[in-house]
Amino acid sequence: METQTRQFRQNSASALADANVQKNLAGLYSGFHSARLTASAATSDWQELSDVGRRIKAHVIENLDYYLEMLARNVERVGGHVYFAKDAQAASDYVAGVARKHSVDMVIKSKSMLSEEMGLNERLEAEGIEPVETDLGEYIVQLAGDTPFHIIAPAIHKSREDVSQLFTETLGSPYHEDIEDLGREARVQLRQKFMEAGMGVSGANFLVAETGTVTLVTNEGNGRMCTSMPKVHVAISGMEKVIPSIEDLSVFLRLLIRSATGQMLSSYVTTVTGPRREYEEDGPEEFHLVIVDNGRSRLLADPDLREALFCLRCGACLNACPIYRKVGGHAYGWVYPGPIGAIVSPMLTGLSDAKDLPYASTLCGACKEACPVQIDIPRMLLYLRKELTQGDNYPDERSASATESAAMKGWRASVSSDGAMRASNLLARLGQSVLSKDGKVSSLPGPLSGWTEHREFPTAAKPFRSRWREMKDQ
Amino acid sequence: MSERDDFLANIRGALGRSAPLEAPVSETPHSAGPPDELDRRVEMVRELISRDADNLMSVLARVAETSGWKVARVPDAQAAGDYVLGVAREIEARSLVYSLHQVVRDALPLDALSEAGMRAEPVALGHESEGKDAQDRARLRTVMEASDIGVTGVDYAISETGTCVIIPRAGVSRLVSLLPPVHIALVERGQVLPSLDELFTLRRDDFLNGNLGSYMNLITGPSRSADIEYKLITGVHGPGEVHMVLIG
Repeated sequence: METQTRQFRQNSASALADANVQKNLAGLYSGFHSARLTASAATSDWQELSDVGRRIKAHVIENLDYYLEMLARNVERVGGHVYFAKDAQAASDYVAGVARKHSVDMVIKSKSMLSEEMGLNERLEAEGIEPVETDLGEYIVQLAGDTPFHIIAPAIHKSREDVSQLFTETLGSPYHEDIEDLGREARVQLRQKFMEAGMGVSGANFLVAETGTVTLVTNEGNGRMCTSMPKVHVAISGMEKVIPSIEDLSVFLRLLIRSATGQMLSSYVTTVTGPRREYEEDGPEEFHLVIVDNGRSRLLADPDLREALFCLRCGACLNACPIYRKVGGHAYGWVYPGPIGAIVSPMLTGLSDAKDLPYASTLCGACKEACPVQIDIPRMLLYLRKELTQGDNYPDERSASATESAAMKGWRASVSSDGAMRASNLLARLGQSVLSKDGKVSSLPGPLSGWTEHREFPTAAKPFRSRWREMKDQ
Repeated sequence: MSERDDFLANIRGALGRSAPLEAPVSETPHSAGPPDELDRRVEMVRELISRDADNLMSVLARVAETSGWKVARVPDAQAAGDYVLGVAREIEARSLVYSLHQVVRDALPLDALSEAGMRAEPVALGHESEGKDAQDRARLRTVMEASDIGVTGVDYAISETGTCVIIPRAGVSRLVSLLPPVHIALVERGQVLPSLDELFTLRRDDFLNGNLGSYMNLITGPSRSADIEYKLITGVHGPGEVHMVLIG
């Protein structure tokens, strides 16, 4: 996927100005976010599950080569093929190669963020193979020539009218007022594709090393279709998705699903262990697992960022984040948005191309609190900011951050002395009295203007000591 | 070096190691308990699900309802068959497919369905020669796609989440519970597990005994989507209407 991580400011500005996007984003908090809170509260040992989940992830990442070898051995033992792809290009080449080998002209796909990362659809199209997204949200996004807006709700930025219009234009279907009718339309369109397609591509939520099992979590049933109907199934997965034992699934399914949608379990959890056995009624004759690095080893190599690989891709940190909930998924400019995306994207695409992302956070900590495996996202965002300001590892960043380095030094000096603190507060209030109207500052000058373009900045309150003096005098 | 060796060597390098590991460098956290006590845990699960069967059925009935199943409790297989007939009449079904779980064979009133003018066909190949296999497979798929109802048994049900577990094998297709717009699952006494933990303990035991199979579906309510404006709709790709019939 083409990166637009440099355009964070422009992209967020247009999201903020789009009333429709703002309306749809507002639903994340009342929807997914509160559903997560209800589901985790209803799980009596939630904290314990989260601790265990985190421990297992830490253990696997520390021994990643060991578990990946075990996984590959066990997939091959049951007749599956395993390919280790160092980058997006190699992974896409392999998948396209499998499609060519079987002379496939259509590939049905169930939702996979990695597929976006690989640019798989573009690669297949270049070979004359039609990729068909079958998750309703992804299908909408594909028809619109758009990119996913949210990890688990890719088309949530589109209204029913947008979708109706889109279906009319691209499918020639009648204009449907009702969302139920839109769903039925998609069912009819895609059912035919399921019946015909020669190959299915799915992502993976968990890979079980001991049994060689791919686990998929879905709600619509398209994942079941993609893994059951075509003659060939190719599962693609980031290398960090491996877990040791099938018994660990009970922990991770709870953590993932309850954090993602707040369901006790999603409609379908599917486990795939190799191709159909001879005695089975249906299922693919050939099974491939593609395990992808594509920059993940850079996260692995840095002990300060390694825990980003614990991520289950539940999307809870997006829904909790006050920045994401205003600017939405497209602002981040690449596959993984939100707080975790602000760490993962710069490391996968290059920090110098994504300078704004580590700053797309108030460091309020809501993401860490929401994370089912307690990933310390604010710590890593600060770490990336430090990398950017100091430029030790990334020398080309040195000049870009001179202002911030100076500002941080100035702030340190001012808080370390009581007199300087009081003087700077006084300066702040004097400065504001020139700019403020009705107790709000509606535009700040120069480098501070970013703070007030889209909202009003509250005027600095008078210090308690002066207010106390005034009250005493009255 | 092969691509795989390069890939793994790169990971080792990132972790500051150079040689492949014989064993993990840290102790594996066993979320479900010590692996060498698996036999004992399996025995405990089996004992629990039979001893606590009534209670587990009641909890399942309640939770399954909140997960979107239409739940019926019936005394025996014959009553389950009557229930299936009732659903078929209500939706004016013309055809029905079923998997060859024993409970389905026992329950389905084939004569009554036929008298009511409904076609009922088992989805089973019988596994004959390779050429016939492919033809039959295509035919059965078309039959399933055109059917109004799919009836299956289950391997387990889970009361924690209101879930049916189906493990495909000879006579148990992956698609009977997926392609028709209505799915009816027949659950027997003694098949209900308290939680996901017990399911995966039993499945690990199956794996060690060479019985994992290639596939497993955990089904929790109807096919759902909230991809447009967060509005919940059902039946997008899988069945929009699902019935869980608890027998005994």
